[in-house]
Amino acid sequence: MPRLRKGPSTRQTNPFQAELLVAITVLLSAVTFGQNAGGTTPRKTQAKTLKLAHPEILLKDEAGQNVLKTGKPISTRQSCGGDCHDYEFITNSFHFQQGKNEMDRALLASHGAPPFNTSPGMFGKFSIIPNRQLTASDITDPSDADMSQPEWLTKCGGCHTGAGISEFDLRGHRFLTPEAKPTGALDPSYTIRDRDSGRVIPWDWQRSGIAEADCFLCHIPKATRGERKKEMAAGNFRWANNATLLDTGIVVRRGDGAFTYNSAAFNSDGTVKAAVLDISDPALENCAQCHGFTARNTTTIQPIQHADIMRGTEKSGWIYNGAKISDTESPNIVGKEKMDFSWDVHAAAGLVCIDCHFSVNNPGRMIQEDAKKNLRYKPAEIDLAEYLRRPDHNFARGDIPPETVNLTQHDTMRACGDCHEAEKSHAFLPYKSTHFRSLACQTCHIPAVHFWAYRSDDWGFVMDTGGSRISYRGIEGSIVDPESEIGGYLPAYITTIDKKNNQQIRPTNLITGVYWFDKRKGRPVFTWQVQNAFFAGKAAEGEFPYRPEILKAFADKDGIIDLPQAVYDSPEKIALVKDLLKRYSGVGDPELRIEVVPWAMTHGIAGKQQAIRDCVACHGKKSILGRPVDLNSSLPAGVPVVYRGKNLDVVNFKTKEPSFDNRVLLNSFYIVGYSRAAWIEWLGWICVAAAVLFSLVHGALRLLGGRL
Amino acid sequence: MNSQMPLYSLHERVWHWLQAAGMLSLILTGMAIHYPDRFGILGSMTNAVRWHSWIGFALILNGFLGIFYHVTAEKYHHFLPRMDDFTGAAIRQARFYFYGIFKGEQHPFEDDPRRKLNPLQKITYLLLLNVLLPFQIVTGLLMWGADHWPVTFTRVGGLWVLGPAHTLGSYLFLAFLIGHVYLSTTGPTAGSLLLAMITGCYDQEKE
Repeated sequence: MPRLRKGPSTRQTNPFQAELLVAITVLLSAVTFGQNAGGTTPRKTQAKTLKLAHPEILLKDEAGQNVLKTGKPISTRQSCGGDCHDYEFITNSFHFQQGKNEMDRALLASHGAPPFNTSPGMFGKFSIIPNRQLTASDITDPSDADMSQPEWLTKCGGCHTGAGISEFDLRGHRFLTPEAKPTGALDPSYTIRDRDSGRVIPWDWQRSGIAEADCFLCHIPKATRGERKKEMAAGNFRWANNATLLDTGIVVRRGDGAFTYNSAAFNSDGTVKAAVLDISDPALENCAQCHGFTARNTTTIQPIQHADIMRGTEKSGWIYNGAKISDTESPNIVGKEKMDFSWDVHAAAGLVCIDCHFSVNNPGRMIQEDAKKNLRYKPAEIDLAEYLRRPDHNFARGDIPPETVNLTQHDTMRACGDCHEAEKSHAFLPYKSTHFRSLACQTCHIPAVHFWAYRSDDWGFVMDTGGSRISYRGIEGSIVDPESEIGGYLPAYITTIDKKNNQQIRPTNLITGVYWFDKRKGRPVFTWQVQNAFFAGKAAEGEFPYRPEILKAFADKDGIIDLPQAVYDSPEKIALVKDLLKRYSGVGDPELRIEVVPWAMTHGIAGKQQAIRDCVACHGKKSILGRPVDLNSSLPAGVPVVYRGKNLDVVNFKTKEPSFDNRVLLNSFYIVGYSRAAWIEWLGWICVAAAVLFSLVHGALRLLGGRL
Repeated sequence: MNSQMPLYSLHERVWHWLQAAGMLSLILTGMAIHYPDRFGILGSMTNAVRWHSWIGFALILNGFLGIFYHVTAEKYHHFLPRMDDFTGAAIRQARFYFYGIFKGEQHPFEDDPRRKLNPLQKITYLLLLNVLLPFQIVTGLLMWGADHWPVTFTRVGGLWVLGPAHTLGSYLFLAFLIGHVYLSTTGPTAGSLLLAMITGCYDQEKE
């Protein structure tokens, strides 16, 4: 690849590069003009006026032909890849792979991953939400089949944007090529468990087609994940990327559901009109479609889109929004009139997602230091053209629980201290280094969450819908009712290791799961197995009828199991369900488990006025660091508790409701004013009391004897 | 007959009262740090921490000035116990405190400009000035230096060792202070020893 800066005369320049050069020149001119004309231009204005103009492109099908002529699905491999971008390089990143390219058991073991996880990403990792997991590639027993690759794509493919996970099977063969063949009747890349019969049946890849990388979802302002999700959920993978473009007017869905192209969106040379496609850097709105409620400045917050709760919002309640909370029109935020501050200071300052989560080889944003060589600044070794051809989509990220994908490349983003002169702005704070070393910035700068989030997901006792019992914290009422009162909640504090290997206290939302584990198989019991144990078939109207044994043990006199009764309040009830799991689901050695999963809080950052400044908040007897956080009122007592992959009892059943007990975690910290060495306190006060007592008794005796 | 015996020089009195004020302040600010929500005498824990550090340094300086004075003025011998002070003399002094004082017996060791401390005082100050005070200075300095010498700080066990250790030392100082103040009433009159430390002269009227 020739380097753009090195001039030119003899090298061959392809049309893309020539256009790119023009675009960059225009961009640089605009920047220079802006600086000369107006001095410091406000960032928001710049964002509106300066935009890298992407060349007009052809939308090609899989054979490289213009889709306008063939009417076939768009192939991003051909349209975006080909001569311009390195499709293979780009899609070999965690945004596209979700752990598929990290399915290395030795690597996982070296990072402490549970042995039943086949990858560190959602494509292979068990999660208490939704109590399901991608089926391992090497299974021989049908009962080990949970979520096959095709089913995973129908469930999760709305957000997880194609390429690696939806182009290649688990052995790396591209679907629909001669090499791509199932290795057996249970091969999870080529099968799916039939919902009605429960049998593992073949998946028809010819019919579904494959979903290439959906570049549009992130790079087109009018991308629509909802439409993409519909196609993925229907198993119509081939057209999913087209569906993403429905709102642009380039693609039209006919009455019969098929997609056609709108010729008005195309130029006479067959390229798409630049203004229509409008290829851009990912905007807040693009990221928001999957990651959590994000907006530059809005007073109406709707975190549920396309029937999905957006991930960051559901898991830790973050709202990345520059508007003031007090201005919120909907939903109903309790006490908002006193919250005359923005949902997130960074959003209010105009920062967008890619300011922090940039492409790590973007010369304009990359970290140009090399600690190994003691360099604070290293001139970029990559030029812009090279970057544009091969932008690294392993976006800069931190290292926070429970995210583990891209195991070997955590902490690639700038930390708070890389932008903020924290030493200068915390003049009030004694022992700055100690505080900065021991506390994540979020600990003080996310004093509270003013939204709701998941609290628990209980798969130990399945509801008659076949699903789990979910509870939320921070809200009174339904999460879909805008009138429900949202009071928010306070974080729970855990300890994590930062990139300098310091143990730090950081705020999290705790999501507590209850699930069954098959000790003989060494993996969680899958949802379909739990359903088999609880239900005798499935009723026509969609409700699951409980087995008589379940009704006898849990129901009231009317034969109905109300929510308060759907709990394991005795060892006998746990034993009963164990027995049913063995009898009806073939689970060898079932064990009921609790798992407490901390979701680190990273957005919803408060400014200095709202941040915690009162020392007593942490150092006082009632330190927030040790406050009990309610987990789930229906937690069963006496069962193993898993915390971050290890058996660690972090549940306190002695409080009114089972609560999080982080004393073990905080043991490595001596928090002055809060921590106590009990024997020292006893010994110290005994000495003081002895001195007082001696003085009083001795003095009294002298007084009585007239010797004072 | 009323007689005034010069007992404490101006240097000694100033040093003593500075030391007393410093220790009292350290105990109070220390309490504000150890019990920040129940002892907020300085407005905030930050203030308490800062005052505690500054007063600590002032006390260290005062300690060195005290050493300088007692060495150059050749008064350090007041603090040096003899062998007898650990045995017979100490027992006589203890007997006085626990028995003789109630019977109106004479103090076994008269205050004298040449020997200002009784045997038990000598032993107490030997431990206080050579063990407890350095212990508090070292643990305090290491905690203060957590930001400056984090490696050393961590090597000695960090706050989990230094915090409780310094706290225990503080309790012992508090216990000493209480006993010291009380025992200052065991002179010829309840206030005579205290007055001597203010005026420098010991009132021997009742002797």
